Amino acid sequence: MTFNIHGGYLEAIVRGYRAGLLTAADYNNLCQCETLDDIKMHLSATEYGPYLQNEPSPLHTTTIVEKCTLKLVDEYKHMLCQATEPLSTFLEYITYGHMIDNVVLIVTGTLHERDVQELLEKCHPLGMFDSIATLAVAQNMRELYRLVLVDTPLAPYFSECITSEDLDDMNIEIMRNTLYKAYLEDFYKFCQKLGGATAEIMSDLLAFEADRRAVNITINSIGTELTRDDRRKLYSNFGLLYPYGHEELAVCEDIDQVRGVMEKYPPYQSIFSKLSYGESQMLDKAFYEEEVKRLCLAFEQQFHYGVFFAYMRLREQEIRNLMWISECVAQNQKSRVHDSVVFIF
Amino acid sequence: MMEDQEEKGNAENGIGRQKQVKDEYLLQFLDSLDGYLTLLDSLSSTLSQGWLELASARHAMGASRINGALLDLKVHAAATSLKVSEQDVDSMESQPCFTLCKWASSDNGERSSGEEKSLSPQLRHRNNSQLSGIISSPVSFSHFFNFFLSCEEEKVSTRTGTPLILVDQQRQKSLSVFGVLVSPKLRSAQLSFERALETLVEIANLHTTMLSMFEQVHKELENTNG
Repeated sequence: MTFNIHGGYLEAIVRGYRAGLLTAADYNNLCQCETLDDIKMHLSATEYGPYLQNEPSPLHTTTIVEKCTLKLVDEYKHMLCQATEPLSTFLEYITYGHMIDNVVLIVTGTLHERDVQELLEKCHPLGMFDSIATLAVAQNMRELYRLVLVDTPLAPYFSECITSEDLDDMNIEIMRNTLYKAYLEDFYKFCQKLGGATAEIMSDLLAFEADRRAVNITINSIGTELTRDDRRKLYSNFGLLYPYGHEELAVCEDIDQVRGVMEKYPPYQSIFSKLSYGESQMLDKAFYEEEVKRLCLAFEQQFHYGVFFAYMRLREQEIRNLMWISECVAQNQKSRVHDSVVFIF
Repeated sequence: MMEDQEEKGNAENGIGRQKQVKDEYLLQFLDSLDGYLTLLDSLSSTLSQGWLELASARHAMGASRINGALLDLKVHAAATSLKVSEQDVDSMESQPCFTLCKWASSDNGERSSGEEKSLSPQLRHRNNSQLSGIISSPVSFSHFFNFFLSCEEEKVSTRTGTPLILVDQQRQKSLSVFGVLVSPKLRSAQLSFERALETLVEIANLHTTMLSMFEQVHKELENTNG
């Protein structure tokens, strides 16, 4: 009843933002473009217009993605500066995933002797923090934590992965997934504490995210050095698949065994029914389609924070769509454009 | 009179044999040209597939996980190398022969086992002879070929206690710059670029064969006209 006192204005803002998402008609026009300049021309009639209008030709696909992301960042910052507690903390939680990605990018790039400035340019703007450049001096996770991350929101997530082992590719991968697991679980608990419609809707969305991560970790680790125990440790401790689905996924050795596990859960049966046996190429698209369906449903209820999370995720999906369409156009592979585009409306 | 007729017969046989040899060279040249064009087309489609798969992997994993800033600039031996040898076709000529040695690290001075492929051209319906010669110029590779086929000093994993097949291990090492848990789409892209590299070497060998056949045909034409 009192939601609108502090959250009403921003909920109205985010619903307005949602109305600006690209429609099926927009995507149909974009899919018929012959060049990246055509894409820019079509996007000039949308909310992305002001961000792309000053970009000189020839355009690059990364430029289109970068400018579209800037729009999302501007909208996010507008909402964050207007938000009060606990909405401001909720909005900050949405960006921790990007923060983790940026940390891993800097650490990995430094391990490969890349220039820090070059790495900073590749970081996602939503995941930036003040001392991020100092990550380059750390040699192991303990130093990473002590020198930089102790003063960031990611500090509580490091308790499970602090070691003095030198950073190598495997340790970095485990660190990435352990951090993300801790972040998801923390976000989940925070939403549960908020209660009401926020807890109900966000529980569903975060549980889906946790389950999707579990499937991706399983598929990506097939045939690698990651042991079953290490794989099991990377799964989140919540979600529809927790705990029995995780036990079965941990021992899967191929995609068909993963399918066998997932088809026992009705919400995921429909996803895997779209794939033929032994095939995993379309799995990402199937998961994205399911996610978009759930995110759109979040807007059906009022007076909860789930709409902010849903909007951010829908915009990120839209940017992914634009990236894919741009790549297909640039590579002259327009026949493949519908392989990965997920329509939102 | 009998002697005149015999001489005339011998001359006709000689001309017939020359014509046969000329036709043989011409057919071999056309065969090699056909193979060359087919391989060029195959290379183009394999590379297109590879680039699209790379874009697909970037779409699935995210731009922060797959980008050029993560490529390893540390000095390390290439896991794949190109061996160039020369071989005499006959006493008059020598031609280069390109051999791809895949996933065989040359660290520690020892060559570990890997796939060695002599990708000499497969001429249809013709005998395929070994080519040799002085190397003119090596095949050039794009930055991404070098990345996908380079790896650090070979390590055998002891985490699982189960040894991996060496070639698969080397492939995973190459991809580890993007992380250990990568999408199957990235692995597909790697295989596509690997195939493209093999095709490139085949093209190089077929190119030398084609040039050699062309010279033979040209020589025969000059002899006929002379």
